Amino acid sequence: MPPLIAMFIIPTLIIFINLFLNKLKWMSLKLSAILIWIELLSVLFILKPVIMGNSIHYYQGFLIDKISAYFIILTSLITAVCITHSYFFFIQESKNNPKISFTQIQTFYILAILFFISMLLVFMCDNLGYLWINIELTTLLSAGLVYFYRSKHALEATWKYFIICSVGIAFALLGTILIYASSKTFSLEGTLNISELIEQAPFLNFNFFKFGFIFCLLGYGTKAGIFPLHSWLPDAHSESPAPASALLSACLLNCALFALLRIYSIGELIRHCDFMQYLLIGVGCLTIFAASLFLIHQHGLKRLWAYSSIENVGLMLVAIGIGSPFLFFLQALNHALAKTSLFLLSGNIIQITNSKELKDIRGLIKFSPSLSILLILSSLAITGTPPFGSFISEILLLTKLLSLNFMLPAIIIIIALTICFIAVFVHVGRITLGQPKQNWIKLNNFQFNLMPSFLISISLCLGFLINSDYFRGLY
Amino acid sequence: MNITDFFALGSACFGILMLGSVNLRLNLFLYSLQTIFMALATLNQSFKLVNIEMYFICIFIIALKALFIPYFLNNVLTKIDIQYDSNVMIPAPIGMHISILFLGISQLLSDKIIQSMPSIDSIGGVTAAISLLFTGILFMLLRKIAISQIIGFLTLENGIFIFGVSITKGLPLIVDLGVLLDLLVAIMIAGLFVFRIKSSFEHIDVTQLNELHEN
Repeated sequence: MPPLIAMFIIPTLIIFINLFLNKLKWMSLKLSAILIWIELLSVLFILKPVIMGNSIHYYQGFLIDKISAYFIILTSLITAVCITHSYFFFIQESKNNPKISFTQIQTFYILAILFFISMLLVFMCDNLGYLWINIELTTLLSAGLVYFYRSKHALEATWKYFIICSVGIAFALLGTILIYASSKTFSLEGTLNISELIEQAPFLNFNFFKFGFIFCLLGYGTKAGIFPLHSWLPDAHSESPAPASALLSACLLNCALFALLRIYSIGELIRHCDFMQYLLIGVGCLTIFAASLFLIHQHGLKRLWAYSSIENVGLMLVAIGIGSPFLFFLQALNHALAKTSLFLLSGNIIQITNSKELKDIRGLIKFSPSLSILLILSSLAITGTPPFGSFISEILLLTKLLSLNFMLPAIIIIIALTICFIAVFVHVGRITLGQPKQNWIKLNNFQFNLMPSFLISISLCLGFLINSDYFRGLY
Repeated sequence: MNITDFFALGSACFGILMLGSVNLRLNLFLYSLQTIFMALATLNQSFKLVNIEMYFICIFIIALKALFIPYFLNNVLTKIDIQYDSNVMIPAPIGMHISILFLGISQLLSDKIIQSMPSIDSIGGVTAAISLLFTGILFMLLRKIAISQIIGFLTLENGIFIFGVSITKGLPLIVDLGVLLDLLVAIMIAGLFVFRIKSSFEHIDVTQLNELHEN
């Protein structure tokens, strides 16, 4: 139990600093940015034994195994990057828009850290009930992040996000209850504990589990943004401030998919599990294909990246469907790195041009060469172009699909990825080339490009690292 | 028909009646009655099973879901000064009759469920649960005002709770409390957003929140 608490000491400290030390003003935000990196180091230190060897059971209903340790580290890294970048971001934002008060920014910090804690808890849960509670908690806390600008558009996006996700998650509760009922046949008590459910998998009532799985896929899928239920995602991502969009896209989507991974890890042990695999891969392919079509006709800069997130969610669903948690993690990692960088850069671009519309942004390369080079590199990383890490994860995914004889899904994915590549680069080309407008605002290059370039270099390193035995062992 | 079934089906009936009225305060009152009946059904079930944990759940449900949440939403209604959800998608009585049709469908569905798991004894509970689920979804689809969306969501959640009680004899205490707490916070936040929508759009018709769209 103590290490579990140790992970939450620094986030709590940050919340207290922002709540009570009001006199520090911008200093408190600077302190938060430093402390969150210490948090990342402490998380790495605490989880070292898990990554080296065995999983740890803390308390009843909490478990950290290898895959959750990786996700906890990823979430901490992305949060650290976003919190650091938001210091520079909000200084500029309050210059551009005097209506934003300092309390508003502090509230953002407090909610972001609470959101971070709830996401860490999601990855530690070994109980379907706790998992549900924590995922609902992430919705409640992130609604405040989406509503940062207090404008009409932000309100509309928040309301849609809040209601659609709450109703979706309610269906996941129904699914959880059905899975609980399915465990009642074997043991008299029934259990929601995932490790126990995995042990008892052959004895579960198949019919109940089947419906439970379908409802959970619907519910958590709404939160992850699978195709017909994705309508909240582009709105919420485009209306929230850039660091919040990055957090939502790179961390929150993983949480919902992680819940599906846990449930499928029970399901794949049941005898007639084929249909669940087909369902996951089918829904995944549909999501990738639909998102790639939506990418073509986009008018908003951040909406473009939101649809690209939906596409990656599809890829991750397929990775879960073929029963490979580490491939899922690899895809999530590469997506998170590139997407965070893209959202942070888009935030900078929006601050420069004061417009979210793609048609207003032209000739970035003449105005700020470093920013546009980073944008092009991140777009290469998100579309899965070598030598970036995402190329490796996508090619591993496709070879695994082909080795399992899923011919049609592999073809659909290849076509969709090609459409994505073309669509993204048509838009990025339009942004970078052409003639810039006169009234743009100059930003400090070093501060604003620090975090994105850090992420892109990690993604680039991953692309070369993958040949080492370490990742081969995982695969 | 045993007492649990009576209360559970009574709760489903209040749900159906809720669809028949466009008066928001009456809707809230019917929601409250529906929740109390649901809690009584749970209480009766827990007498039968001698399950002490479930007594606590019943107390919390009556205190929070049946009394506090309607009181809170009633306050919201007073402040935003709205009485009726006047422009519904289809006339209220027709909506009510559709949901009666769904009650029949849920009877058929619950028969199927009972066949696959003979240990369930309360067929009325399962029927009521599925009926409440349908009612909640219909309520959210047919009504346009933000408050109605919240009431529909609460009804849906009630259906899920009865479903849990009747097919699994209730979730573990700590999970149930967590779910209840999450729900409470969600409703408070939704209430705050209703204020905000009212003050910035000057109406709370959520179907008119359509400025963000493709192209």
